[in-house]
Amino acid sequence: MKINVAVFYGCRSVEHEVSIISAVQAMRSINRQKYDITPVYVDKNGEMFTGEKLFDIENYRNLPELIKTCRKVYFARQGDKVLMKSAEQKLFGKQKDVSIDVAFPVVHGTNCEDGTIQGLFEFLNLPYVGCDIVSSAVGMDKAVFKDVLKNAGLPVLDCMSFGAKEYMANKQDYAKQISEKIGFPLIVKPINLGSSVGITKVNSEKELDSAISLAFSFTDRILVEHAITKLREINCSVVGDYDSQEASVCEEPIANDEILSYKDKYMGGGKNSGGSKGMASLGRKIPADLTKDKEKEIRELACKIFKAIGANGVVRIDFMIDEATDTVYANEINTIPGSLAFYLWEATGVKYTALIDKLIDLAFKRARVRENITYTIKTNILAGVSFGSKGTKGAKI
Amino acid sequence: MNIYLMLSLVFSSIGALFALTRQFQMFQQNSYYPSRYFGWLKTSFNDGFLGCALVYLLVSVFYFFKLNLVLCIVTFFILCYNIKTAITLQKRSVKGLVFTDRVKRLYLATAILYVILILIYVFFSKSLAGRISTAVLLLLCYITPITTFALWGITLPIEKRINKYYIDDAKKILAFRPDLTVIGVTGSYGKTTTKFILTRILSEKFNVVCTPHSYNTPMGIVKTIRSLLKPQTEIFVCEMGAKEVGNIKEDCDIASPKYGIITSVGPQHLETFKSIENVFSTKFELADAVKENNGITFVNGDSKEIINRINGEYKIYGTDKNFDFYGENLSYGRNGSQFTVTLDGQKVEFSTRLLGLHSIIDIIGAVALAHTLGVSIPDLQYAVSTLKPAEHRLQMKPFTNGSLLIDDAYNSNPEGCLEAVRVLGSFDGMKKVIVTPGLVELGEKEYECNYALGHEAAKNCDIIILVGTNRSKPMADAVRDSDFNQNNLYIAASFKEAMDIYSRFADSDTAVLFENDLPDNYLY
Repeated sequence: MKINVAVFYGCRSVEHEVSIISAVQAMRSINRQKYDITPVYVDKNGEMFTGEKLFDIENYRNLPELIKTCRKVYFARQGDKVLMKSAEQKLFGKQKDVSIDVAFPVVHGTNCEDGTIQGLFEFLNLPYVGCDIVSSAVGMDKAVFKDVLKNAGLPVLDCMSFGAKEYMANKQDYAKQISEKIGFPLIVKPINLGSSVGITKVNSEKELDSAISLAFSFTDRILVEHAITKLREINCSVVGDYDSQEASVCEEPIANDEILSYKDKYMGGGKNSGGSKGMASLGRKIPADLTKDKEKEIRELACKIFKAIGANGVVRIDFMIDEATDTVYANEINTIPGSLAFYLWEATGVKYTALIDKLIDLAFKRARVRENITYTIKTNILAGVSFGSKGTKGAKI
Repeated sequence: MNIYLMLSLVFSSIGALFALTRQFQMFQQNSYYPSRYFGWLKTSFNDGFLGCALVYLLVSVFYFFKLNLVLCIVTFFILCYNIKTAITLQKRSVKGLVFTDRVKRLYLATAILYVILILIYVFFSKSLAGRISTAVLLLLCYITPITTFALWGITLPIEKRINKYYIDDAKKILAFRPDLTVIGVTGSYGKTTTKFILTRILSEKFNVVCTPHSYNTPMGIVKTIRSLLKPQTEIFVCEMGAKEVGNIKEDCDIASPKYGIITSVGPQHLETFKSIENVFSTKFELADAVKENNGITFVNGDSKEIINRINGEYKIYGTDKNFDFYGENLSYGRNGSQFTVTLDGQKVEFSTRLLGLHSIIDIIGAVALAHTLGVSIPDLQYAVSTLKPAEHRLQMKPFTNGSLLIDDAYNSNPEGCLEAVRVLGSFDGMKKVIVTPGLVELGEKEYECNYALGHEAAKNCDIIILVGTNRSKPMADAVRDSDFNQNNLYIAASFKEAMDIYSRFADSDTAVLFENDLPDNYLY
């Protein structure tokens, strides 16, 4: 009797393809002695598919063909099981329901990583890997994330965040405020996109409007923060839950452009490398070239941030060091990092297979803790309530 | 063939079907043990026996004299009566007949029996066999216990095979899980509580499944294994119950426990066990099975019947300093119980909302085993602090004017009541009040038990409020015979009056114990 792990990936997200790469990597690394794997590919329309062909990355070149070989499914709770059922019944041959023991979301970006898919699992009362709804949502919204950290006394850069409509109505005001409060150079980013999508560095007021417009093309709220001129970016991964956290070694991404662009991050070497192997192939230095003290500071900070937002599973936290002042700031958190940050853990001495094992254990641990809290009162309170007799005129509940 | 006779046969067959429902219900509630079912039959033999015999006689007479129309009418009325009784019984019963597969098979066997009788009647109506089958069909209504025994006999080989299939299936599931740790929990008292406490504590570290409710028969265990065990389950906590010698061995043959807890040995089910030695040896069948798996059995050293008999390799827990795991310094207060348990020489403080020495000993046993399995001390402490008492079982609740209510309204066991009063007596620094109507339905021992309760209350309480003037007389006698300040004894005519008296001196330093049989709706 193996534990059946349903790996969810794809989804309605700008990082759809990145998610596919991360998920296929993860599925290859799950210990097959202990786990059965059910791939659940969510297409860009939000429909869910499963099938044997989903295990091979080569098959994803032709998505329509791939989907034709797959079975469309949905999930439902039945008694004490969560079953994967066929969404379309074939004329002949009844297709068997598959019992799922734990969900493993390997999704990136809005409409999934931000608490959306976690909501589905919570609703089904299915144990799942990674952050819960609240921490996922906080992790996705860059402004809220900063607020939570600020409240916890953790270092973040000050920022301004606003919506598209208010900006459009008062462009001049905003430009003035931004130059006064933040000052140039500055960074404009969509509030809730990962993978550096829609992020621009702005050096003068002239470039501001077009940068903001670009960001608004991805989302309706953006944030503006000061750009550090002597910047070093350092990333660190954390595994654990509220009770205990462990930080990995740090990495320093090597940027081609000033900010890691989507291309840098996920297309590796760029045009010529032909298809991508995900975050793992990005130019980077592991471990980052840091003093012992700095590394310790960042790793401790990473654990505190992890705890502050109530994260679970594996996350990657991106830090910025202002070399002028030697100050560390938390920049953003990836609650489901690309490639699950396995390359950082292998560098720390944890095999990918062991990492996944640990993540699934954490999922069951959280489910146990929640089971120990009473969510429903067993007796039906309505059973003893009088709703007013039928004959009574105007009786209300 | 006579149309009226045929109709009579149809009516009485259907009537019998309904009459059988009651028998099946009781057969089911006696766990399908014919001996226990027979025991129930003996006690309820008089219920409507005379009526049955009369109708039986009438029907025989009508049949003999071929008064078929009358027979037809009579059987029709009997049919109506049987349907009505079956429906009201099913509705009124605390636990009606549950239509399990086994019960369905019983009905199927009934149907087959009918078909055979009807075939005989149709094909041999003129011969003696035909007459006998007609008579049997007519009389089936009145011989339902005999029919039930017959059906049990007919279905027995099938049931045995079905059970064997399920048991083998459960064993097969466990055989595929060599990494799964099975813990057996048994004992005359406290096994269900210990099971739940242990499961809660272990779940701090492991994925644990336990037998639900008080499932503790082989089939209950099999059902749990087949339906609740998940692939991620690491520990299976299995409650094992026994009414006869050999029962625990049967359970162990299925579950194959690596660890065991024996919570107590006492004079329970003596009618089937015959002697306390048999109770002891049956409970220790668990220890034998654990030994075969090179595991460890934990036994409650505070149980006299255990400590006086054991010799061998056991881990003993309880309240004596010579035990392997012992608790001490038990005190009660607004936040519940506080106590210390010595785990491998280290003294560990615990606090819990559970009250009473029995519960604390159950916790010590569970903690000892969980500690042995590697649950960390902070996890043990946390899990114990989250344990919740069962409803109305020494349950602490906030009450009038900030006072503390200890609700023990469901306790009807004389020993348990005395312990509850002692628990109240240990609430140091608080004004201690008891509100109780005393114990009922104890037969000839009633006066004696209530007197003892009154005596204990006088020793442990500051204020005694008795409910019911006549009913509480034995307790009042005991209080008057003691050196208790008589001004602090109140006798209330009703519970409401008792509450009026109580609210006069209830304050935040008052602890009040509601003992036994007080109406639910006053408790909120």
